[in-house]
This record gives sequence, structure tokens and C-alpha cells, in this order.
Amino acid sequence: MSAPLLNVESLCVEFGPKSAPIRVINSVNLRVDAGEAVGIVGESGSGKSITSLSILRLVPEPPSRIASGRIEFEGRDLLAMPKSQLRHMRGRDIAMIFQEPMSSLNPVMTVEAQIGEAIMLHQRLGRAERRARVIELLRLVGIPDPESRLKAYPHQFSGGMRQRVMIAIAVACNPKLLIADEPTTALDVTIQAQVLDLMKDVRRKLNTAILLISHDLGVIAEVCERVLVMYAGHVVEDADIRSLFENPQHPYTRGLLRAVPSLTDEHPRLYQIPGSVPQAGSIRQGCPFYARCDLRQDICARAMPAMSTHGARHVAACWATQSMPEVRSA
Amino acid sequence: MNQPIIRAENLGKTFPGGGGGLWRTAKPDVRAVDGVTFEMTRGETLAIVGESGCGKSTLGRLLLRLIEPTSGRVLIEGTDITTLSAAEMRRMRMKVQMVFQDPYGSLSPRRTIAQLIAEPLQVFGLVKGRRQMRERVAELLTQVGLPPAVMDRNPRQFSGGQRQRIGIARALSVDPSFIVADEPVSALDVSIQAQIINLMQDLQQEKQFSFLFIAHDLAVVRHIADRVAVMYLGQVMEIGPKRQIYEAPQHPYTQALLSAAPEATLNKPYRRIVLQGDVPSPTSIPTGCSFHTRCPLAQDICRTVRPGLDRVAPGQSAACHFAAPNSLGAK
Repeated sequence: MSAPLLNVESLCVEFGPKSAPIRVINSVNLRVDAGEAVGIVGESGSGKSITSLSILRLVPEPPSRIASGRIEFEGRDLLAMPKSQLRHMRGRDIAMIFQEPMSSLNPVMTVEAQIGEAIMLHQRLGRAERRARVIELLRLVGIPDPESRLKAYPHQFSGGMRQRVMIAIAVACNPKLLIADEPTTALDVTIQAQVLDLMKDVRRKLNTAILLISHDLGVIAEVCERVLVMYAGHVVEDADIRSLFENPQHPYTRGLLRAVPSLTDEHPRLYQIPGSVPQAGSIRQGCPFYARCDLRQDICARAMPAMSTHGARHVAACWATQSMPEVRSA
Repeated sequence: MNQPIIRAENLGKTFPGGGGGLWRTAKPDVRAVDGVTFEMTRGETLAIVGESGCGKSTLGRLLLRLIEPTSGRVLIEGTDITTLSAAEMRRMRMKVQMVFQDPYGSLSPRRTIAQLIAEPLQVFGLVKGRRQMRERVAELLTQVGLPPAVMDRNPRQFSGGQRQRIGIARALSVDPSFIVADEPVSALDVSIQAQIINLMQDLQQEKQFSFLFIAHDLAVVRHIADRVAVMYLGQVMEIGPKRQIYEAPQHPYTQALLSAAPEATLNKPYRRIVLQGDVPSPTSIPTGCSFHTRCPLAQDICRTVRPGLDRVAPGQSAACHFAAPNSLGAK
């Protein structure tokens, strides 16, 4: 097996005072290989965004801190790295895009200046070369007639076009990993389809690995080959998309797949997972899904299950299904 | 067929652009809803789907006369509500209620759950005295799946899903015959969304109100609706029974919308058709068919002649010169 591009091991993130910490990320393992597209799916408060922010150490300290674990990028330890060196990697090796492009873009800078800034930070290019590169990037992300849009400001673009500009900034220095946190959540469905296509296109052309964070498994299935399911700060399942859809192992994943209405079949009633998502840090012992689980046993309340293997590249953290014969779900 | 509970006739709303005067150039008017006609029968669920800016929320507000239409009329159980006086309209509001998208913004944080739910009851004098009020609130809370003991708490003590239950209880309190729900589940997590959808379906089955469900999520709509209307730039592009809309959509926009919806499945139900460009601004709606700037099938006639919403199959109408089942080959 080749060395991973990104390797996160036993990551724990805590908020609040050290004397009474609230643990929001609990022993998360995450691996992304070069050129691979991996998704993280979860509901609000599952820790998916904090996990992605931790990779570039963008979680504000204080109030939060990375309590333990390792984050390695191409074998280099990001947690041990001085801030100055890390800054050098941001944008060049690992780039990030967020949900709301309007609040990530500077409203008083032209598009050319903002994309140019990203280039300038990491590459020595003359003015003319830089402009040519900006035009090339705008063309790559599908902005029509890029020469005429150089002097435009973010407010002159629609939401979908702004997200294209964000992607242009993110890929300006050919990063090896693009982290996208809910990049299409604020967009309409036809525009979402365009942006997801663009991400696939960028990946194909630049061989950029993608870590896509979303609450929508459908969005992740569009772009990624592999997905991690997070619940209450834990990774509860990690599998190839196909394997996850055909043979979900964690009761939460199964519930999630059944609770989403479908475009094609009509059921008289939707399956519902009882109860609500627990508050961060409120579960200190056992499996975080215990209270809502229909397969729960006594042991689940006492101890968090370890990951068990269900075929190649498919692991899940569940006491109940780890020893069960495979159940084929519809 | 029985009398429709609600009927919209050629309903339109144009928001004035404002500005103008001595120093400013006038902003163009926004045509948010344009010539919408449909009716709903008792106990029926009609879903309005479309992207942001298509006028679906404005339409919902027009039907309840929360805003005044610039053209057309709305009939509720045969009464034209657009000409009612303020006092008559207030009485009419007993029959029509709304559930909002944002369960955080739509409940006053300073009041208790009992006060919030009882407000419509008190306005219409449906309960007398504190005791009767609390009994009725307890009954409503039970109907929406919350323990009656929570009635003295404040909204901030509740999660998004629980708040949406409270919003539903409030709408139900006056036993309306028509409810408009504007994106009631889109702010909720997936596992909570299913709970609220099931609750709304159960309540509708029991109480038989007509239900206008405004949404952008096509999978949710397929689950909950009897009929679906697809809007684009203020106009209804296609309307019909849901099975026909999903299995044999005739308007190219409906087909593109269906094909763009991400689905958590390995076998994609529709071949992806990615529309070019953005939705035009409602301040400058294209001539002819408003969809022609993005339509893969557009011909010369589409740029000049606006197609009518014509019947294309039993119960199904589409506003397209070239309407045909799956004309884009998405299925």
C-alpha cells in the first residue's frame, strides 16, 4: 500500500476549559490517498466541519484545542509544524472552500486581485504572467468571457459563479488536496449540479484529491468513491460508496439511508430515527448512538465499540453488527 | 368533483423597483409571480417546487393575503379574499394558516410555548379562560408529539425539530381548512426531517386540510405531494399528478430539475442534464418562454411567443411549445 497523502490518526478535539473539557471530536481516523475523493457525511453537530478545519489547524485556539492525535500530510506532521511553515502549505498543498462564497470573498477586491493574491503568495510570476494565469483559472472553472470579468467584484456574480471563483482561488497553486466544506449547500439544485461537475472536472484535470464535507449523501455519491459517516464526534462507518449503499453496517447509516425520501419510490411512510442528535460532549461513555438505536445491547451503553471489518475497505463501529451475518439491504 | 377549497386565478405580484426621483435611476420592477392559476380540493397536497427566486414563497404569501396581489384573485371556499375588508379577512384567517421555514425566527423567544400556541385561539375567542386554554394547548402538543408538560417553557429550550412541531401545533390550533408550509423541513437535519414529514402527513390524513407544500427538495416532494407544480421565474411551467411529473415530465425545465437532484443511490434514476448558465433576474425576464435562455430545445418561436400552460395529459399541463414526455431523454 502506498503512503497516504493525508493521514489523520486518533484525532481528538476539545472545547472549553481543560479542567472540564467538552470533547467534540473523538478518535477520528481519516485517510486520503493522492488523487482520491473522500466524503464525510453527518448531521449538524456531528463534528464533520471541525474535523476538516483541524487538518489545517483552522479551529480557533482557544476555545478549542487539538487534544491528541496525529495529522500527517505526505508524511509531515502538521501538528508539530511551526505556524509559519503551515501557512506556507495552506493554499499551496492543501486548499479549502466553504459553504458561503460571499462571506469568503473580499467584497472590495476585484476577482483578478483575489485570485492573483493566491498565486502571488506561493509563486513568483510577473504581472502579465499572473494575469494570464488568472484568465486560465477563470476559464478552467467555467466563467464565460473571463477577460471581461477580471475587474468585476464579487457582488456582480451570482452564487454559483462566486463558488466558481472560490474554486479558482483554491486551485490556483495546484494543491494536492482540496477540502470542500458544504460547497453547494447554499446553491440551487441546477447550480449545485454545475459546481459538482466542476469539482469532478478539476480533479480529473489536476489530479487533486478531494475531501468533501456534506450533510447530503447524494452530493457525496456524485463526487466521491469513499465516505466516512460521522455521528456525535465519532466516525461510525468508513466504506466505499458502493459498499455503504449496498451493505450499510452501522444502524445510524442504515437509518440515514432509509430516512431520506427517494426520487423514485414512494413509501407510505418514511423511516424515522427516533429522538434527536445528542449535544456535543454530552455522551461520555459507550456508543453515542445508543439512545436512538434499535439494535442496542447492554454493552453498548458501557463501551464504545472498536471498528470491525466488513469486506475490503469497509469498517464500522457497532457491537451489534460486528458479529452478525451480512444483511443485504434493499 | 366537490368545490375547491382554494382557487388562484391569474394571480400576479410585481414588486415596485423603487428608486427614481431626482438623483437615482429607478430600479426595475420585480415580477415575482405572473399569471398563476390552479385550484386545490379538500385534503389534497399540492407541492410548489422551484429554485430560489422562482416566486414560490411569494405565491404562498399571496394565497393567504399576507401580501396584496397586483393582479388576479384568490378564492377560499368560494369567497374572493382579495376584496375582503380587514375585519372580514381576520375572520377568514381562521381557515388559513402558515408554517414557516425557520423554526428559530418564527417563534417569539420571550413567550412560553402555551402563549405561542394559544395566541390564535385567543384572537379568535375559541377558548374561554385559562383552564380551557391550557387543556387545548395540551391536546395540541400531544397531537404534534410533544409532552404537554413543556408548555411553560421558552422556545430556546427546544431543538429545531421540536420548534417546528410547535409551529405546526400553532397552525393547527384554529382547525384550518388550508395550510401553507414554506420549506418546513429544509432547515432540519435528515433524521429529524423524516419525523416532521411523517407528522405532517399523519395530521393531514386525520384532519383533511388542504396542504400547499413549498419546497426545493424534489425527493421530499415526491414523498408528500399528490400534485406538483414546477415554477420558474414567477410562472408555473408544469403542473400535474406527481407520478406523471416524475415519470413523464413534459417541460424541459422539470426534466432538468429532476436530473440535477443528487440521489443517494447507485442507480441514478435520471440521466444528468446540466443546464447552462444561471437563472435570469426576475427584473428582466426573457421574452417569449422565460426558460428559453437555458433550454436545450429552444427554437425561434420560444424567443418570441410565450407558451400557454396547456393540457398535455390527463390532469397534467405544461407551458412549452415542444412539450413531450421526457423530451430531453433524462429518463
